[in-house]
Amino acid sequence: MFKKPGKRSLAVASLCIGLWGGLSSPAYAVGDVLEIPALETDLAASSLLLDITRAGDRLVAVGERGHIVYSDNGGDSWTQASVPVSTTLTGVDFPTADEGWAVGHSGVILHSSDGGESWEHQFDGRDGVPQVVDYYDQKIAEMEERIEETDDQDKVADLEWEMDDFVFNKEDLQADLKEFGPWHPLLDVWFENEDHGFAVGAYGNIYRTKDGGETWKTRMGSIENPNRFHLNGITRVEGGDLYIAGESGFVFRSTDNGQSWEQLEPGYPGSFFGVVGTGDEDEVLAYGLRGNIYRSVGGDEWESVDSGTDNTLNSAHANDNGEIAMVGNSGSVVYSDDGGENFSSIIRPSRLSYVGVMLVPGEGLVLVGEKGAIRTDRQGRDLLL
Amino acid sequence: MSNSNPSDGKREQPAPSAEPMIERLIFNNRLPLLIVFLVLTLFLGYNAAKIQPDASFERLIPLEHPYIVNMMEHRDDLQNLGNYVRIAVENEDGDIFEKEYMETLEKITDEVFYLNGVERSGLKSLWTSNVRWQEVTEEGFQGGTVIPDGYDGSKDSLEELRDNVLRSGEVGRLVADDFNSSIIYAPLMEKDPETGESLDYRELSQALEQKVRQKFEAQNGNVDIHIVGFAKLVGDLIEGIESIALFALITLVLTTIFLFWYSRCVAGTIVPVLASLVAVVWQLGILRLLGYGMDPYSVLVPFLVFAIGISHGVQVVNAMAIEASKGFDPLTSARLAFRALYIPGIVALVSDAFGFLTLLFIEIDVIRDLAVAAGIGVAVIIITNLVLHPVVMSYIGITKGGVKHVQNHDGKADRKWRLMSYFAHPGVAPVSLLIALVLVGASVYYKQDLKVGDLDKGAPELRPDSRYNMDNSFMVENYSTSSDVLVVMVETPQESCTNYDVLRSMDRLQWRLENTEGVQSTISLADVSKIVTRALNEGNWNWYEISRNQTIINASIRQAPSGLINTDCSLTPLMAYLDDHKAETLRRVTAEVEDFAEGNNDPDKHEFLLGAGNAGVEAATNEVISSAKNMMLVFVYAVVAFLCLLSFRSVRAVLCVILPLGLTSIIAEALMAQMGIGIKVATLPVIALGVGIGVDYGIYMFSKLETYLKEGYPLQEAYFETLRTTGKAVAFTGITLALGVFTWIFSPIKFQADMGVLLTFMFLWNMVGAIWLMPALARFLLRPEKIAAKKK
Repeated sequence: MFKKPGKRSLAVASLCIGLWGGLSSPAYAVGDVLEIPALETDLAASSLLLDITRAGDRLVAVGERGHIVYSDNGGDSWTQASVPVSTTLTGVDFPTADEGWAVGHSGVILHSSDGGESWEHQFDGRDGVPQVVDYYDQKIAEMEERIEETDDQDKVADLEWEMDDFVFNKEDLQADLKEFGPWHPLLDVWFENEDHGFAVGAYGNIYRTKDGGETWKTRMGSIENPNRFHLNGITRVEGGDLYIAGESGFVFRSTDNGQSWEQLEPGYPGSFFGVVGTGDEDEVLAYGLRGNIYRSVGGDEWESVDSGTDNTLNSAHANDNGEIAMVGNSGSVVYSDDGGENFSSIIRPSRLSYVGVMLVPGEGLVLVGEKGAIRTDRQGRDLLL
Repeated sequence: MSNSNPSDGKREQPAPSAEPMIERLIFNNRLPLLIVFLVLTLFLGYNAAKIQPDASFERLIPLEHPYIVNMMEHRDDLQNLGNYVRIAVENEDGDIFEKEYMETLEKITDEVFYLNGVERSGLKSLWTSNVRWQEVTEEGFQGGTVIPDGYDGSKDSLEELRDNVLRSGEVGRLVADDFNSSIIYAPLMEKDPETGESLDYRELSQALEQKVRQKFEAQNGNVDIHIVGFAKLVGDLIEGIESIALFALITLVLTTIFLFWYSRCVAGTIVPVLASLVAVVWQLGILRLLGYGMDPYSVLVPFLVFAIGISHGVQVVNAMAIEASKGFDPLTSARLAFRALYIPGIVALVSDAFGFLTLLFIEIDVIRDLAVAAGIGVAVIIITNLVLHPVVMSYIGITKGGVKHVQNHDGKADRKWRLMSYFAHPGVAPVSLLIALVLVGASVYYKQDLKVGDLDKGAPELRPDSRYNMDNSFMVENYSTSSDVLVVMVETPQESCTNYDVLRSMDRLQWRLENTEGVQSTISLADVSKIVTRALNEGNWNWYEISRNQTIINASIRQAPSGLINTDCSLTPLMAYLDDHKAETLRRVTAEVEDFAEGNNDPDKHEFLLGAGNAGVEAATNEVISSAKNMMLVFVYAVVAFLCLLSFRSVRAVLCVILPLGLTSIIAEALMAQMGIGIKVATLPVIALGVGIGVDYGIYMFSKLETYLKEGYPLQEAYFETLRTTGKAVAFTGITLALGVFTWIFSPIKFQADMGVLLTFMFLWNMVGAIWLMPALARFLLRPEKIAAKKK
């Protein structure tokens, strides 16, 4: 049912690529990270990895230089996937055992339909930026219309001010694309099922697909984020609400499966790096800078939770048993077995930073971060062999 | 070479009346000559005394190799990169978070601050204000010095210090991984900005020893101090050169004792020793006048000069004793000895010089200097030991004991020589050849492991168990650093060195290198940009990437360490830290860089140039050495073969002389492989010296043998006569030369020790080859009837 519009916007996108190609920006000379496949290397599983997820029973992790690795034995050993780009990848999600998406710098979106073994290049900032430009054009036209219709001089001034902002953003985007290329990174990805998903990123970028990634459309018009704060992480909580963790203490909520997003302010001025559902109905935790965790049921009222650490928390994973694990900078691992009521906190002696975590069946965790993947016990301590 | 042939068989013994002009010139003006010699010796001695140790870096490296050309071209830009000392202060029982330890560290930091040559603004230790911790907060950054405000050594402030250290990111850099030591990092200035004087490495090294190591280890018994850095290494090398004086003394004493045992004549002992010392003084004086210093290689030349001088001097003593035993007075004996020796002596010395000159083919200044120094030394010996020595002896004469010794000695030794003459026996010769073949086979097998380059860890110039290398391995074990660094210079158009394309390409090369065996880690401006970009984005790891946005890149490298960007932003270095500096590692890594450079060099954007850093220099040196090695061997053997051919006019004779040398060379290579000595700047000259000097035994023995064969003796008899007349002189020469070099084996400088081992072996084994293998070869190659026929 999504096929028709999909094809049309694909044609628009490729037209944009064509136009863009004609500009021949220096950043796109031979050897761009979007054109060069990731180097096959034994080091992929032991260098910077930025996210980890599950594809059926398989673990899949993504990281710098286009590295994607997967493990079929709970993180004991890893195999590198073949990836067509070498830009740094920041997020990965598999709604099914086979279908998955990864996002990263240059606004790239990759897709796998074989459980993460091989990946195709679906989308990147070269396709995305023109969409955002179009969006600003629409907004500008809208503003002009409104200014036309308005008689109140004060209101006109306000609207002009607002419009100038759109003009400025649009011109900025166009100039940057021409001069630097698509430099806005995407930071996280979440899929409801093999058709419907979101990719979010820096400077308020948010894209949505309803056709398994064949077409991606900017949804900047659907989110209440006029200052274009970074969107750091996205998830769905028990009950169906979607949450996005944002820069400067903002959280965004969608109660209509992503059609529209409203801005929430849990009361913390620093940035949230992620959101995670606790498993309880409507309950969500937002976590981020300096070990801050905020909890809410439904998203309207928030309270601070003691994480036991001052280190920035980068990622979290919860399971159906009420277990929640979070990892952060400087070796921090925090763990709760009561749905986030209480957390125990440790600092791993290596003090390496971790950026992704999975609770794996049995007793352990798999952490990914600064120096790749490592298995630990539930609290984040080294396994005794 | 050293043993001048006292009576070349091809020449008739000259009648006492047939004085050559040169002999008249010398012996009729003995007193004026002596005065001239005295004045010259005083003048050159004065200069020799002023000769300075010189461990100049430039002379050790192949300046014409493209890597080094690139390095020298960007020398000023790279200066801040490598010249520093790192002083690790270790708490032997406990960690660094102790009051006493921190007190001592503060005092040492102050002391180092005031050392000459230290760039004070760059000095880093836990006590300097440029070592800070930083944290991202809701408002931005927050930070401070790692020493907490109001530090008082109390338990609380030490705990605070520990926290600050942990969040400073200095663990593995300024603070050891095990927290038992911390580092004072002192960058150095090549030139004093006020006086313009060059950094005095020796003075700095001594100051570090006395004012830092000794002083504070004495003050605080729990503290152990480890110092590394190029400046310290050079200081230690210079000290090593100075310790060579002791070796010189030992050599002198041993040689004198040996000479007396040989000649049993006080005058015949002291005069050749003095004459040889005069040769050394002249050689050093002339070097100084030519503007040379004493580098760790050329410091060994005086030993060779002395030994060669002695071996020639002993010929003079021997010849005089023989003449004296015939009843001639000292003056006549001296004149007759001179007459018999001056031509073969000059020929031998000139052929030595040719051997040395083959070293000029190697494009490394120290080796060329060595050739020049040795050449001067040999030229000087012609004057001192062939002219001065007989002139002095003409006044003194040989003592009666010495004369008697010559008369008695021959008879006693006959049985020994008789036995050894069996080397030429038809039954023994095939066995000898078989043994030689087995030796060749075994050596070829064992020399497979022979490597180019330096093989030891740490600073290869010094012994693995030297203080410096122990300190170095302390650093490598406790800190995240390697002492083997390859620097790739990335050249760009002006003001372009921080462009996205440049950083991206560097990053790509770095990743290829990190995937190359032997590379531990790499670092460049690309890493700085990633680290700071992340920091500027609230420490979010998702931003650990080179941004395409040049504005973000520019912000990220605003605080980049000096040395990573040159003044007009046209050069930025990329450092690769290696596991070791073995030749294969270097080859693998440089090949990777060259491959990358070939595909990515673009003068409009960036060019990747090899190679600075110690690993770059070694890689270049290895290349020069391996390409020079074969050429030098071919050349030195060609020269030696040509000289033999001139003397004997027979290819078979040449083979008799050359093949034993070849055996020595092959065994020496097997020995090197087994002892872990690589082919390097120090050992390459040894091959030339060994062959050049070693051939003299063969020439000397063979010319005698040929004489007797021409007189119609059967081979074994002819060889017996050869041994009777020359065996002793050959053995003496071999031992004298070996004595001259064997003390180097104990040098604190590793490559001098390597040279000592190899030269001692080659001098002795060449002697063995001449005595044992040469007659066996003669048995198969020569047709005595033909030689005898030639005579008729």
